[in-house]
Amino acid sequence: MDHLEYVLSILPFIASGLKLTAKVYVATLLFALPVGLLAAIGKVKGPKIITRLLYLYTWIWRGTPLLLQLFFVFYGLPIIGIRLSPFAAATITYTLNSGAYLTEIFRGGIESIDKGQYEAAKVLGMTYPQTMRRIIIPQTVRRVLPPTCSEAVNLVKETALLAVIGMPDLLRIATQIFTRDFNITPFIVAFVLYLIVSSVLVKLFGTLEKKYSIYE
Amino acid sequence: MTMIRMNNIHKYFAGVHVLKGVSLEVNKGEIISIIGPSGSGKSTLLRCMNQLEKIDQGSVEIEGIVVEAAGDVGVKITATPQEVRTAYRKMGMVFQSFNLFPHMTALGNVIEAPMLVHKLGKGEAVKNAEKQLNKVGLLEKKDAFPSKLSGGQKQRVAIARALAMNPDIMLFDEPTSALDPELIGEVLSVIKNLAQEHMTMIIVTHEMGFAKEISDRVIFMDDGKILEDQSPAVFFDNPRHPRIKTFLEKML
Repeated sequence: MDHLEYVLSILPFIASGLKLTAKVYVATLLFALPVGLLAAIGKVKGPKIITRLLYLYTWIWRGTPLLLQLFFVFYGLPIIGIRLSPFAAATITYTLNSGAYLTEIFRGGIESIDKGQYEAAKVLGMTYPQTMRRIIIPQTVRRVLPPTCSEAVNLVKETALLAVIGMPDLLRIATQIFTRDFNITPFIVAFVLYLIVSSVLVKLFGTLEKKYSIYE
Repeated sequence: MTMIRMNNIHKYFAGVHVLKGVSLEVNKGEIISIIGPSGSGKSTLLRCMNQLEKIDQGSVEIEGIVVEAAGDVGVKITATPQEVRTAYRKMGMVFQSFNLFPHMTALGNVIEAPMLVHKLGKGEAVKNAEKQLNKVGLLEKKDAFPSKLSGGQKQRVAIARALAMNPDIMLFDEPTSALDPELIGEVLSVIKNLAQEHMTMIIVTHEMGFAKEISDRVIFMDDGKILEDQSPAVFFDNPRHPRIKTFLEKML
């Protein structure tokens, strides 16, 4: 069998793996971004009890391996009676993990904005929510784009851990084909696909950065 | 009419007593310059007027409404929170470091608060903003971002932004201290134009010539207290306190 033909023949399987990876990825980003933003605002401005809980959250989720977190949610929660679909369990774990990193990224961004911006908004009669929404967050977005891009690219690669807990993601499918055919081509295909997805993300963030830089 | 009445204000920063019982009344249309050595409490006094700093003791009234009262001062806040907010909105403020919103154009800076706070429609807000920018001579720069403006232009946009909220009182916190010497004049001339419109103004400044020319009263602060509250003629030409004499000699 000729090489190209072989690649084409395994592509549908690989594509099904890529689809799962993409689903978990998109769902995670969709939830993790607001989690990170809200937790960051909570950390900056929330009442003491909220701040403490949020510190506990980022401490635990940034301080332990993601794989171990996946194990706890997949194998630990059912023991105490919480049964989730693999997709839900994966999305929740990745969201909480990524959310913890984004919290710290956004908190740093918010805290880097000059306090004169708050004062100017205050003397113009703006409320705190108005100030955050119109003055602080838009400036924060520009500053946190580069680290957020890193986190988004990291997350692509971290989805490969889905393979370890038995979900048929891109890497797991590639591994299955490798075991069946004893041919490393599926790994090369997976390699290239991960690289393409990461590159598209980097490009996308680059465009966003440019767009948000017009005022500098 | 009394626009601002500050009664026996005390303020501490981390245990340091920076305002030591300051009382001050500002009447409608008055232009007051606050001068004095650095660290004397000038800016803090100004910032206590609009609650950028909370007072530790004393009371603040704006146009007859008690907006802040702390300690045993014999007055209480009787106005509703809404009335207090409305009273604060009668004061506009201009900062030493401009504090323009860098992600908005000059026009965007000026229309933002009227639209958010006064719920003005965009068309009306833009019309009013263009009027204010024209007043400070920067209408042709309305689409420029702050990063493309000189310090003097930034400060003039900041003045237009404050004026767009229709304040009765303008507070200036060292409006020219961050500017290159050749840019100071354009900002001072905008403030002088406001004086001709009888805007009530309180200006913390180091520009002695300007203070002498524009003020109805000059207040000299030293070590957290008002040492002198006088007409500019008497203050500059015939200072009574040796402390003020030494200060003026150093400044001129």
